[in-house]
Amino acid sequence: MEHKNLKPGKSKSVAAGIMIFLVVVITIMLVAFMNAPTRGGAQVMASAQTYFAEVKQTALPFLVVVGLGAVILGVLAGITVYRVWPNQKKRNTLLTAYAFLTPYLLITCIFTIGVILFAFYISFTHYDIFTEPTWVGLNNYKLAFKGFTDSTQKDFVQSLHNVFWYTLLVVPIQTTLAIGMAVLLNTGVRLKNFFRTIFYAPSVTSSVVITLIFVWLYLKSGFVNNIMTNLLTPLGLNFQSVNWLGDPRGLFQLFGFTIKSSEWYLRGPSIAWMAIMVQNIFTTAPTFMIMFLAALQDINPVLYEAAAIDGANGWQQFTKITLPLLRPIILLVIVLGTIGTLQVFDQVYLATQGGPLGTSLTPVYLIYREAMGAQGPINMGYAASLAFILALIIFVFTFIQRRVLEHGTEQY
Amino acid sequence: MKSKMLVVFSCLMVAVLLLTACGKATTEPTSAPVEQATAEPVEATTEPVEATEVAASTCPLSVEDGATIVFSGWGDQTEQQIYKDSIERFKAICPNVTVDYQPIPDKFQDKLKAQMAGGTAPDVFYVDDQLMTAFASTGQLMALDDVMAEAGVSRDDFIPALLTIFTLDGKTYALPKDWSTLGLVYLPEAFTDAGIAEPADTWTWDDMRTAAKAIAAKGTYAGFCMGADWARFAPFVFSNGGDYANSDFTAGTLDTPEVKEMATFVTEMFNEKSLVRPADISASWCGEAIGKKLVAMTLEGGWMVNSMKLDYSDVVWKTALIPNGSKTRADVIFTNGIGVNASTKYPMAAAAFAIYLTGRANQGEIVKTGFAYSTHPDQIDLIGNVNDKAIAEAGLLPDTKVAYWGPYTSKLEDSVSKALERVWLGDQTVDEAFAQAQAEATTALSGQ
Repeated sequence: MEHKNLKPGKSKSVAAGIMIFLVVVITIMLVAFMNAPTRGGAQVMASAQTYFAEVKQTALPFLVVVGLGAVILGVLAGITVYRVWPNQKKRNTLLTAYAFLTPYLLITCIFTIGVILFAFYISFTHYDIFTEPTWVGLNNYKLAFKGFTDSTQKDFVQSLHNVFWYTLLVVPIQTTLAIGMAVLLNTGVRLKNFFRTIFYAPSVTSSVVITLIFVWLYLKSGFVNNIMTNLLTPLGLNFQSVNWLGDPRGLFQLFGFTIKSSEWYLRGPSIAWMAIMVQNIFTTAPTFMIMFLAALQDINPVLYEAAAIDGANGWQQFTKITLPLLRPIILLVIVLGTIGTLQVFDQVYLATQGGPLGTSLTPVYLIYREAMGAQGPINMGYAASLAFILALIIFVFTFIQRRVLEHGTEQY
Repeated sequence: MKSKMLVVFSCLMVAVLLLTACGKATTEPTSAPVEQATAEPVEATTEPVEATEVAASTCPLSVEDGATIVFSGWGDQTEQQIYKDSIERFKAICPNVTVDYQPIPDKFQDKLKAQMAGGTAPDVFYVDDQLMTAFASTGQLMALDDVMAEAGVSRDDFIPALLTIFTLDGKTYALPKDWSTLGLVYLPEAFTDAGIAEPADTWTWDDMRTAAKAIAAKGTYAGFCMGADWARFAPFVFSNGGDYANSDFTAGTLDTPEVKEMATFVTEMFNEKSLVRPADISASWCGEAIGKKLVAMTLEGGWMVNSMKLDYSDVVWKTALIPNGSKTRADVIFTNGIGVNASTKYPMAAAAFAIYLTGRANQGEIVKTGFAYSTHPDQIDLIGNVNDKAIAEAGLLPDTKVAYWGPYTSKLEDSVSKALERVWLGDQTVDEAFAQAQAEATTALSGQ
């Protein structure tokens, strides 16, 4: 009896496993086919046949590599299903889960994973999106760092330098500011909702709108210079109006150091770059304030009561209770802030276009410039390699932050 | 039962998603025909009277029957209206062709590159140096020489300098649709205020500097407005016998005495405060500084006329010919062209349209609107506005050059602008800054 029942069950499992294997492989290959690194242009895109011929001609190695991956993944999926199939409960759970996941997985495969694979492949090629990608090995990656030795190609190195300063200054300031605002709003001040709305307003406003407003504020005859003059002149200080978004002088130059133009990396962030930092802090801090506010509501008031009974003053309560309990959120805010600042683009695109003298050039803006061929032929391969370098840098930063900050959060 | 339903449902979802994803690649863009066809009675009545356009009253090429072509360009409402009118005129002579005008006012180059890669680019479109670089060498633009010969259009019909941009390996990939150059734009009241004579066409750069100094000294207006900008610096260099790169765009010529002398000249002006940057006087560009009556003189082009009419119609301003340099008098030309998509379905219709747009008949109509200058040298007299005339005159000077130095033009230009910026900042001397610019230019022009 038992023996007889097992056999059809087993063959069913095998069939299911093979089915899943086929579905996975075919899906991945279809996605890869649609994302294949081919020539673009109307001739290629005219019909399905022309595209197919083009893929056959240029993208076979790509498809072979992806195909290998697809087979491995398919085998894994097939084995999982084969094992789970005889157990009806497990089978149902698995199938239900994947049924719900399928739409998301497909979209991710097509528009994220497929595109990333494509980008990774072309980062090793010279690719102008119209003619066939030509394999150049690691040349694009080498070119990115050539700025260390060749000062005429320092764009990427300079953009990294800029963005590190940006992260270094913006993340701590905006996090501190966000905690400060959240704690203030949590103390039960009057008109709490009013202040919350006011503080949060910059975050819900589009960053494009805010940037355009700041461009006006930062004009030489603009509001910022006006306020500074009116505040500083009565104090007996002589304030010269500054063209905030157009001044390439670095922070350390302002302290009176003379630094040669060839040693630009010693100058610190430029005035223009710091002006953009201020604007970014203004927009982003309130978003994080809301997160801290939510976290603060979660802290048990009994803890404060107990501390007060034990004679702890407000500052002690803040440093010994509030901050430690906020630690997971602080980690989150710092990680999100770092990722956001390393990818800064829209402010630069709208306000300075990387100027003055490249002091507000950022990696993402440079990627855009190279990918769209705004300064010379389209160089999609180089742009893709820059994107991967940036992704690696962000990964390393996030990893370190998690290691340093997450350590010890569990105990609370 | 339930789990079976789920399996069926998920399979359906997969199928639907795959189908939609596949479908996307092949579906044609649903181009809503934006033909509002507001026939301009004024334009229509003037056309038949033109005696010179009799030859152009037939379609320039024998076009495909029932051809529908898409045409895209940038431009504001005024420019769009001008091209709508042009399309109406084209319809009158090539009735078999339907033109679907789809203007892209913002980020034109980015959008067009993406469209071209996706196979949905328009059949006929504006071409500038950036698009020329991206499209011509990669075979996305149709070489027009054969159809030009068929239509009886010659390269010699156009102002010679204009074709520099649109020529690659001896082939013509676009025809110039309009152009501008720089004139010495000035505010007469500033000269009255300082009690000095207004600029004349005999002026040299030194005369300009003396006047700027006098006006700056008076203090009511700034003297001469110029950003650290390669384009405004170009006439200084050209008129001193210099250039930014050699003639085949293989090497920069930025550390030559011709360039450095003029860099010193403008730097001295900057240091003596007879030259101000637009940002120094809170203007976004020098034309705005003239409109706001902040400065006495600047170098601007044909776009000034419409911009002043629109924003500062009550301001009286004039234009003099670009000042004379020590070697010659020369100006810089900016131009854009009309190109044809190499993979258009209707090459003859598309080419006929491009040839018509840039031809004498249509250019003659456009120039009358005061919007742009005709690209045909014999039509320069049709320019009506006196300021436009003064600006355009410099375009025909023998040493005037077009702002184009090969595929890496904007990198080279960027190096020049940055060099000027560093010198004015006091960061570097002229020698240091232009040695660095030359090194950057050499790297850039060698293709990295």
